Amino acid sequence: MTRKPGVQSKSESGLSSARLVSSYLFSRPKTRLALLLAAPVTWLVLIYVVALVALLITAFWSVDSFTGEIHMTWSLDNLQQVFTQALYRTVTFRTVGIALLVTVIDLVVALPIAFFMAKIAKARSQRIMVILILMPLWASYLVKAYAWRSVLSHDGILQWLVQPFGLSTPGYGLAGIVITQAYIWLPYVILPIFTGLERVSNTLLEASSDLGAKSGKTIRLVVAPLLLPAIIAASIFSFSLTLGDYITVNIVGGPNQMLGNLVYSNVGAANNLPLAAAIALIPVALMFGYLTVVRKTGALENL
Amino acid sequence: MRSDTTPAIKLVGLQKKFGSTIAVENLDLEIRQGEFFSMLGPSGSGKTTVLRLIAGFELASAGTVFLDGKDVTQSAPFDRDVNTVFQDYALFPHMNVIENVAYGLRVRGVGKAERLAAAAEALATVQLAALASRKPSELSGGQRQRVALARAIAVRPKVLLLDEPLGALDLKLREQMQIELKELQRKLGITFIFVTHDQEEALTLSDRVAVFNNGRIEQLGTPRELYEEPASSFVAGFVGTSNIFSTSESQKLVGTSSVVSIRPERLRLSEAASHDTGTVSLAGQVQEVIYLGAAVRVIVLCEQIPITVLHQFDYGPAPEREASVFVSFKRTDLVSLGN
Repeated sequence: MTRKPGVQSKSESGLSSARLVSSYLFSRPKTRLALLLAAPVTWLVLIYVVALVALLITAFWSVDSFTGEIHMTWSLDNLQQVFTQALYRTVTFRTVGIALLVTVIDLVVALPIAFFMAKIAKARSQRIMVILILMPLWASYLVKAYAWRSVLSHDGILQWLVQPFGLSTPGYGLAGIVITQAYIWLPYVILPIFTGLERVSNTLLEASSDLGAKSGKTIRLVVAPLLLPAIIAASIFSFSLTLGDYITVNIVGGPNQMLGNLVYSNVGAANNLPLAAAIALIPVALMFGYLTVVRKTGALENL
Repeated sequence: MRSDTTPAIKLVGLQKKFGSTIAVENLDLEIRQGEFFSMLGPSGSGKTTVLRLIAGFELASAGTVFLDGKDVTQSAPFDRDVNTVFQDYALFPHMNVIENVAYGLRVRGVGKAERLAAAAEALATVQLAALASRKPSELSGGQRQRVALARAIAVRPKVLLLDEPLGALDLKLREQMQIELKELQRKLGITFIFVTHDQEEALTLSDRVAVFNNGRIEQLGTPRELYEEPASSFVAGFVGTSNIFSTSESQKLVGTSSVVSIRPERLRLSEAASHDTGTVSLAGQVQEVIYLGAAVRVIVLCEQIPITVLHQFDYGPAPEREASVFVSFKRTDLVSLGN
């Protein structure tokens, strides 16, 4: 009985100091906001914005071809080289073509899968499918790329599968890159479309059918407009991720190069960081352009 | 073939199972042309499932749905000449009001000028012409309700299905919409099938009401029939309020050996017993007095059995709690519900 008051007062004092901080913060919403956002804003500014700006600045510097040292004098040589030399144009078109193809293939595959998951599958099978789609993301990117290298090889499983039909594996090359990238980025395309479809309520589909629309018209007039933001979000994933890839190309691409490979070889073998930075600006500019176009259509407002 | 005697909707042996649960059991029902027909029941009684079977959102496990004499049991919703006003309105969020209303005509291939004119007319019918270019998200609940209604009538269906359309509205608006619905139905002359769990709404609006319970119809009749001659204790309890006495209770109170019910407004309170012929007077003690504004609800304990009395102020002042009173009623007002 005699000890009890002491114990109580100790816990009370601990409580009251926490209480003091709480009530201090309660009356100062701006301080609260600052504490909440301090870490993410620091990260965003220091690591993200500063790195991007550094990239932009580096593109205007040059390298002494004899000593390999970076000269911090302003020049447009790198950008001029990137814009005028045929090599960079060819690789840019190839990279954009691959990214577009991967995006289209992923959308074509993802839409029916997402539709099945969101509108047809029962709760249990829906959960299983989400897990199945997420599972490849837990495996290393390299493992998946090498798995496709083995699948695509001339004595691989694909060759064995299609040989009876008089076909053969595409082997290593552009087709291999497209197939592998489409496989690797597919989960990033399915999931946004799935969540987008889940937000299209079933009664809207019923209402459309009730008013006389057959499935095709319901999809065109109701589902597609409501799903467009999700489709765009999904396409941003597959397009930008393909745009920046260089590892898959090395593993299944044969002799082909994408923009990422040019950046990589300039950072490494050629030791020309400014030129690498100038090349890296191409995908940045492309994505910026894509997002601007998308924003103009108003699709992002419904996100 | 078709004449005005062909029922607008005819359901024969209709059954719907979800897995092992039976939602609708062997239902036969005829709904007349131009009728305001209500399906009334607690949630889970199968009334909404019947509506969805008529609309085509669910396919029947057994039985037939005739729409205007035509078998539509296996038809898709877009092939059925009925339209639905959904409980959550189901307005297309990416279209404005007039586009929503014109949607049914648009998918039927009606030209733009023509369908917008027809949609404007439908909007005028529900007094929303001024809001044609608003998005559904910019409307109040009552306005959305009207848009949903306009959208459904714009395609001039033979039958309009309404799935608890007033459920989400507040009381005043609901009463106003009830009047408007009734007027609209008279003006358009189309059959309305109205699903509700609100018995008062069903009684005020309908020509006929089907009371649903556990997937079957407990009673089908005019509002007056349901109220004054309930066929079962479920109907007596669900439609309005009733004093329902079990066989043992009615034995004690009125000396009959069947379940009987009597409406609270048929009972009178007095300080002395009535000796009129055909009148029963029961001595009791007032247990509770609840003020309702226009009247008082008095609960009287007679023989340890609580009896609810609706006491109008015209009959005299309301009794005090714990006062000794007599509850009197005419024997003919008792409704026998069998055993």
